[in-house]
Amino acid sequence: MVKWIIMFLLVSFPVLAHEMTPTYPKLEPSHLDNVYKTTMEMFNKREEVEYYEIGVFDAEWKPIPFVTKYEIIKIRYLGHVTFDVYIRKQDVSRATYVCSMSKLRKDATTKTAIASRICSKFK
Amino acid sequence: MKKQTIGFVALLLASTSWALAEDVPIEGTVQSRCVIQTDTAGVYGNPNAYTLTTDPSDGGALAIIRFDVTLADAYKAEITAPSSFSSSPPLPDVVTWTGDTEVDAVSDASGMGSYETDKVEQGLKDIYDLTATGSTWFKTSSVATMGGSKAFPGGNYTALVVAECIAQ
Repeated sequence: MVKWIIMFLLVSFPVLAHEMTPTYPKLEPSHLDNVYKTTMEMFNKREEVEYYEIGVFDAEWKPIPFVTKYEIIKIRYLGHVTFDVYIRKQDVSRATYVCSMSKLRKDATTKTAIASRICSKFK
Repeated sequence: MKKQTIGFVALLLASTSWALAEDVPIEGTVQSRCVIQTDTAGVYGNPNAYTLTTDPSDGGALAIIRFDVTLADAYKAEITAPSSFSSSPPLPDVVTWTGDTEVDAVSDASGMGSYETDKVEQGLKDIYDLTATGSTWFKTSSVATMGGSKAFPGGNYTALVVAECIAQ
């Protein structure tokens, strides 16, 4: 019965999803001295969202300096994006989370009321 | 002889086509993940001049968010009800906010049955340990009350529920 209810819900509502992988990324030395990097992948199935902001944080949720190609990434609907995150060697031991958060346009005609954030944890 | 040559050429072309056929791979990777799905964006109803509420009995709609996880004990769901408007007309007074999140439905009643009782509440934020794989639907309510019983000015109001899936 529960399965039928779940199927009904899946069919009844448009699914608007945000996902980021891997769950536990590893920081590895990059081609630059004293700089480590990891590669993340995102998938945007939120039709009303085009931009996601990347952030790196320590265990206390304080921001840690990092570099990506774009700090705010544009991902088209149903688009996949792979991006590298670079962190200084001196910050590697503190870096705990890498997060992506949906950015909503103020002038969006869709009155979206849900901001989504997914955080992976460095291992 | 001519017919035989044409037949031979046709056979050769056909065999060439076969030789050019290639396998096109479709690749994929299965890995643990958390997916946040925004099933229903909330809507504020306006039962009186100084209240905006998502209560369905007052003309509102609850925000419904679905979390899908493929690895048990790997993620926490943190859902925060709004504490301000992200867009609104100029307001005449301070707004008081209340809100709550509850489990609406689960895909695995035995594994996820204790999510609601085990949750941690920190003000407007509710934190759930996602200890089982599968889908969980959360519903979030929000009420905004204008101070001094003043009326909300006419216009569009938007407030954000923040849904977070954090690896642990």
